[in-house]
Amino acid sequence: MIVQTWSQHVVALPVAFPLAGCALTALVFRRNRRWQGLTAVAFMALGLISSTLLLGDVLISGEPRVFHLGGWPAPFGIALAGDLLGATMAFMCQIVLLGGVVYGVGCRDKCAQFPTFFPFFLALAAGLTGSMLTTDIFNLFVFAEVVVIAGTVLTAISDDRKGTEAAFKYFYISQFAAMALLVACGTLYAAYGTLNMADLARLIEQTPYHPLLPFAMVLLLVSFMIKSAVMPFHFWQPDFHTAAPTPVHAVLSSVVVKLGIYGFMRMTTLLFIEPEAKALIENTLIVCGCAGVIFGGLGAAGTYDAKRMLAYSTLGQLGFILVAVGWGTPLAMAAAIIFAFNHSLAKAAMLMLAGAVASRAPVKTAAFDRIVGLGRLRPVAGILFLFGGMALAGLPPTNGFISKLAVLQSGVEAGQWLPLAVLAAASIITLVYVARAFQTIWLKPIPEGVEPKPYGDQLLAPFALVAGCLALGLYAQPLVELAILNSQWMLESRQEYIDAVIGTMSEAQDRIQELSP
Amino acid sequence: MSFFHPLIPLVCCALGAAIAAAHGLTPINRLVPTRIYGWVVAAFPMAAFISLVGMADQLFQGQMKAIVFQQPWIPGLATDEGSGISFSIYLDGLSILFALLITGIGVLVTVYTGYYFSGTKTAWRFATYMCLFMVSMLGVVVAGDLILLFVFWEATSITSFLLIGYKGESEAARRGAFKSLFITGGGGIALLVGLLMISMITGTFSLGEVLTQGDVIQASPLYPWLLALVVLGCITKSAQVPFHTWLPDGMTAPTPASAYLHSATMVKAGIYLLARLHPSLGDSDLWFWSLTSIGAVTMVTGAWLGVRQTDLKALLAYSTVSQLGALVMLIGQKADIAFKALAVGILAHALYKSALFMLAGIVDHETGTRDLRKLGGLRAKMPRTAIVAMVAGLSMAGLPPMFGFLAKETMLAMVAHPSLPDVLVFLLSSAAVVAGALIFCQAAILVLGTFFGSSRDQETFDHAHDAPWGMLLAPLLPALLSLLIIIPVSTWPVELLGAAAQSVYGEKVKIDLSLWHGLNTALLLSIIAVSIGTTLFLARRRFIALQHRLDPGPVCNALYRGSILGIDGSSWLVTRVQNGYLRMYLLIMFVGLGIMVLVAGLPPLPTRLPPLRLDDGWVLVRVVAIALATAAAVSTVLLKRDLYAILALGASGLAVAVLFLLIPAPDVALVMIVVDILMLVILVLALVRFPKPQREGADELDYQETWLGKWRDGLVSAGVGLATALAMLFVLVTRPDPAGLGEIAWERESRVTDFFFAAAKPLTGAADVVGAILIDFRATDTYLEIMVFALAGAGVYTLLRFASPAAGDDATDAAPADLQANRGPGASFWPVAESPLTRLLALLILPLSLMLALAHVLFGHDQPGDGFTAGVVASLAVAFWYIILGYEGVHRTLPWLRPMNFVGGGLSLGIVVAIMGAIFNQNAFSPVNFALMLGITTPYGISLSTGLMFEVAIFLAVLGGATLVIDTLGHPRDRDTESDRQATLLPVLEARGDVTSPLEDEDEDDSHAASVARED
Repeated sequence: MIVQTWSQHVVALPVAFPLAGCALTALVFRRNRRWQGLTAVAFMALGLISSTLLLGDVLISGEPRVFHLGGWPAPFGIALAGDLLGATMAFMCQIVLLGGVVYGVGCRDKCAQFPTFFPFFLALAAGLTGSMLTTDIFNLFVFAEVVVIAGTVLTAISDDRKGTEAAFKYFYISQFAAMALLVACGTLYAAYGTLNMADLARLIEQTPYHPLLPFAMVLLLVSFMIKSAVMPFHFWQPDFHTAAPTPVHAVLSSVVVKLGIYGFMRMTTLLFIEPEAKALIENTLIVCGCAGVIFGGLGAAGTYDAKRMLAYSTLGQLGFILVAVGWGTPLAMAAAIIFAFNHSLAKAAMLMLAGAVASRAPVKTAAFDRIVGLGRLRPVAGILFLFGGMALAGLPPTNGFISKLAVLQSGVEAGQWLPLAVLAAASIITLVYVARAFQTIWLKPIPEGVEPKPYGDQLLAPFALVAGCLALGLYAQPLVELAILNSQWMLESRQEYIDAVIGTMSEAQDRIQELSP
Repeated sequence: MSFFHPLIPLVCCALGAAIAAAHGLTPINRLVPTRIYGWVVAAFPMAAFISLVGMADQLFQGQMKAIVFQQPWIPGLATDEGSGISFSIYLDGLSILFALLITGIGVLVTVYTGYYFSGTKTAWRFATYMCLFMVSMLGVVVAGDLILLFVFWEATSITSFLLIGYKGESEAARRGAFKSLFITGGGGIALLVGLLMISMITGTFSLGEVLTQGDVIQASPLYPWLLALVVLGCITKSAQVPFHTWLPDGMTAPTPASAYLHSATMVKAGIYLLARLHPSLGDSDLWFWSLTSIGAVTMVTGAWLGVRQTDLKALLAYSTVSQLGALVMLIGQKADIAFKALAVGILAHALYKSALFMLAGIVDHETGTRDLRKLGGLRAKMPRTAIVAMVAGLSMAGLPPMFGFLAKETMLAMVAHPSLPDVLVFLLSSAAVVAGALIFCQAAILVLGTFFGSSRDQETFDHAHDAPWGMLLAPLLPALLSLLIIIPVSTWPVELLGAAAQSVYGEKVKIDLSLWHGLNTALLLSIIAVSIGTTLFLARRRFIALQHRLDPGPVCNALYRGSILGIDGSSWLVTRVQNGYLRMYLLIMFVGLGIMVLVAGLPPLPTRLPPLRLDDGWVLVRVVAIALATAAAVSTVLLKRDLYAILALGASGLAVAVLFLLIPAPDVALVMIVVDILMLVILVLALVRFPKPQREGADELDYQETWLGKWRDGLVSAGVGLATALAMLFVLVTRPDPAGLGEIAWERESRVTDFFFAAAKPLTGAADVVGAILIDFRATDTYLEIMVFALAGAGVYTLLRFASPAAGDDATDAAPADLQANRGPGASFWPVAESPLTRLLALLILPLSLMLALAHVLFGHDQPGDGFTAGVVASLAVAFWYIILGYEGVHRTLPWLRPMNFVGGGLSLGIVVAIMGAIFNQNAFSPVNFALMLGITTPYGISLSTGLMFEVAIFLAVLGGATLVIDTLGHPRDRDTESDRQATLLPVLEARGDVTSPLEDEDEDDSHAASVARED
């Protein structure tokens, strides 16, 4: 075992708190929903606090925090590393996850009253955060499995009758992704004899033409593409997200899909930096991203249900991020981070608002023809939806505009005119569906004979998220700067990451010497 | 002048918005009537106006070109040269002219709004939108940063969307709002890309610097593209053909908004931006030809279409289109007189058009209609309104002594300018004359048709009454100004217009506001236009009839409708792809994966097969196991009966376990065997719950597939399987075995294996390397895996016991008592012959297996087997009890069996283990040996350590998870209701031809999409 400081434990806390919360809420308070909910909120809040601390720590020290679990140094044990990218991503996820838990407490869905709802939600949170902080590729696989099982159950138990079927499809397709990731792990282990990503990165750099490498790379890519619902691996997403309960949908469609994005960033900036392989990944991302932008936008414009519209919209918005990652310039990578962050806030808020409106419908549904004019009962939600919608459509003064601006700017700078044209055209489609939804829900009069429910879901969480959207739109500099630091870190400090996780080559040798009996 | 001085106008207007919104507060709303509140709010734009006048004075007096304010806003998003986006203000002549118009007319419109909505309690919403619009519009004209300008630009589109759709109950209002947002928003995207190109070329976002770099921009190969994009943005906003259609449809906005946004200010944003960027983008041939042609066509089209309108506001909207076209045409020119015409035209049009709009609103307000077919003769009822309307109408008609006359004269002088080619002079002059005549005719129809002649609708006439003075003040002031501005009381107007024209043209432009320039071409053309216009007015009935005959239909509207239909049509197609069939999804995914593998490069064929060990005497067993595993796996696909297929799956798994055993990998083999059995048990128990017809129905499906489909699916599966197999084969032969590799010599020695072998015993105290890996080195993985296992069990439990529509059993860990009613006590649930023997077996097996489990937990660290195996073994015994004793029997005899508590307890204990490591070793999840710490020697090699605790945690979680599944499957009420439900569902599923029903409803309601797309 190696000696580690207390401050190194900070890396584990963002994962540990939701995990502990999951275990605890599964054990106690199962019959007292109020206490169970509050416990869940408390643990999630602790998680967010610790991920904030971690991010602050990384920003101040300028170097990653690494924690070798159990004191077994990587690559022998599993190390969690809060480098700038991981810490930023974890921070982003946990903001929305906390919002989701808070919404879950105030949610009137039947499934949110089940005694296992919060344990599953926290498991989802832990799995997602862990995936972004781990340095071990097999550990990533396991964390991702936690996300899959929790997501499947949470959707299967949804009030929406289609939830079970959608969950079944998701689970099936996720098993495909899991298989791909597992085979990729095995192949990489066979080829390089290690599972640690930092170690792999160094070894791949040394022998980049291993005959098994392209195969492993494609499998890794495909599994991340399934996770992030990238065309043509997106099929599970619209059904699955639509049927999920509102608080779950809000996190699934905003942050859980960012897992793949995170994976792509690690692939192009850490694992596969050899130009040929990198170009292959990047071109795939650009092509699939453009396809997704069009497909998602059109799907959102053509669907009949507010939640489904937002699910499709996620496909489109992810396309923007993919294209930016595919461009890979410093500005584009920063734009990808900005977009990912802002989209998470806006999409979660929008889904919560759509769900809150749906909760007032006589029979809970978000189908447009059933929620016509129901927004009139809640003008506050209308204002929030308007701002959230503007954020989604990339209109100022919301943070969505900053994201769109950054992506388009990086595209202009990179001279990528064709993808740029696709993105610009898709922005117009976004405008179409957001405006239509707003008009249908908030402007149209309530049809006669419809008797809305007197109460609905609470609006605290979407309120906070929309406030965040506006704040980051009016004062975007902190996020932009964070994104630029991230981009610099990814593109320039690769070696620092590797050294921090497994040490320099001689250090690693020393460590083995020291540990070996 | 203080540093923050340039911000004052913006801040004032923003405060106005806040004050307007404050009227929404109930006490204020009750206390102050809307009419009075209008005056209160108007004070804020008034303050802005006054401060702008002060700034204008400074600008005229001082030598500086512009008043500038700069603060970094998003320095992070910088160009290559490092200049970031800033919150900056750039106030020069052009900006001041526009800003004065915006705030000045803003004051009047705000007052007017108060009267217009007098008596309406909710008007504060409208007033707030108006003030927000004012901020945005003011922002557009004073912004000194390209991106900041765009921010305000989009904000005007959004506020316009809200204002047009203010009366949201009305279908027309919603459509108009949507249309305006679609067209201006679409143009906005183009503009943004264009602006970004400019900033990339010039390396700055600052407007002041961009303006000085015209030659750099025009030298760039991107110039045509960026010009097209910027122009597209401007002409959509300024309603140029073919994008003008949103403006007439936007007339569904309440009149104050139309007067303000859609005549005086917002529609001029495009004009402003084109004029603003003229120094850097203008003066090229491309600029000249594009703007001249767009402008001239728009000018004539708007004038032509306006004449036949019967709605006062629609008529005004089309004349606005025409005027905007004229302004765009002027910006395209190269001679200085064009810019004089531009400055004069902007001011003149803003003055008379806002007045006329507000007058139209008054007529609407006081008579209840603005349909020209019902109006007429109102002079008698509304004398004051009529007089104001006549003054403004004269200016619109371009007659002396009005300002409008001057504007028209200057424009006519431009189109006849000698610097233009002859052909163009002819074309443009004719266009200008035609447009002038038509506008003249429109003005006549508007004023004379409303206030003169005889009343056409008695009811309307009777209903009419004159407007209050306060309301009339708003149109009166601009109308009077159009009259008085030409009287040289002050040099102020001349200086203002001169400064504006200068900032567009770049050099000094001579401005004089005298009406008489002698007998020149312009006057001649003007006389021709007026005489044609008079003729047209007199023969208006026949002329309008002619227009209707020549009408080619709504060509430009078809463009809009076409794009909306295109979006909706392709949306429909796209949603078809998402058809709900998992089979197809997987097919596409596998094909996608295949293509990617092919592109990236297949793994090479292995040069030799992995060696089959023949020397250890187990050859026969090995061969049989391989054969069995393969045959059983194939059988799972081929067997028709589900039960047999499941059994074959089990056989295949067991055969693989045998292979593992021979490697030798006893740990893996052990886990494989117990998990295989558990899986079999659960699958079979689950199968029992399905009604028989449904199970047979699932078999039937297999036969429904066409032979083509079968071959396709088979080929794809085989391809994927083969590729994976090949890769795995390669993996196998490239194991550390250099002899088999030939010339390929990769470093393949695992970096970790040696370490594990060497370090397991000394560092963790575990004799079993696998145990050390699971419990120590990769404890996190283990914890997460049991979590997945436990969660899966909890998921089945939640899904069937809570979420299933039949469940209705909300008690957690349901007490057996409430089940007594359903079934007799002790009744066995599964139709298994219950005999003394089976009962005896059950009674024996549970204690035995628990002892076995205990052994596994205690010695798992050092021997094959661990907490996981223990949990599965124990749960298998529990399953046996369920089968023999039934649900109630188990609950009665095993009261300690609380699976959810096991799950929660196991997972919590795992966390405790991690914390122990942190407490004692300052290393979370590190092993702690309590026995060593306390100095106790434990018998039989049992270790008292966190390792043991972790084994217990694993055991509990796994037992809990597996028991949850069995318990749920064994719940009697679930079973009955669940089966019934599924039996009733079956015909539906069969009718669809698939057990997985497509989520996308075939008859989905597209009515919403269609309703927005439909046009009149």
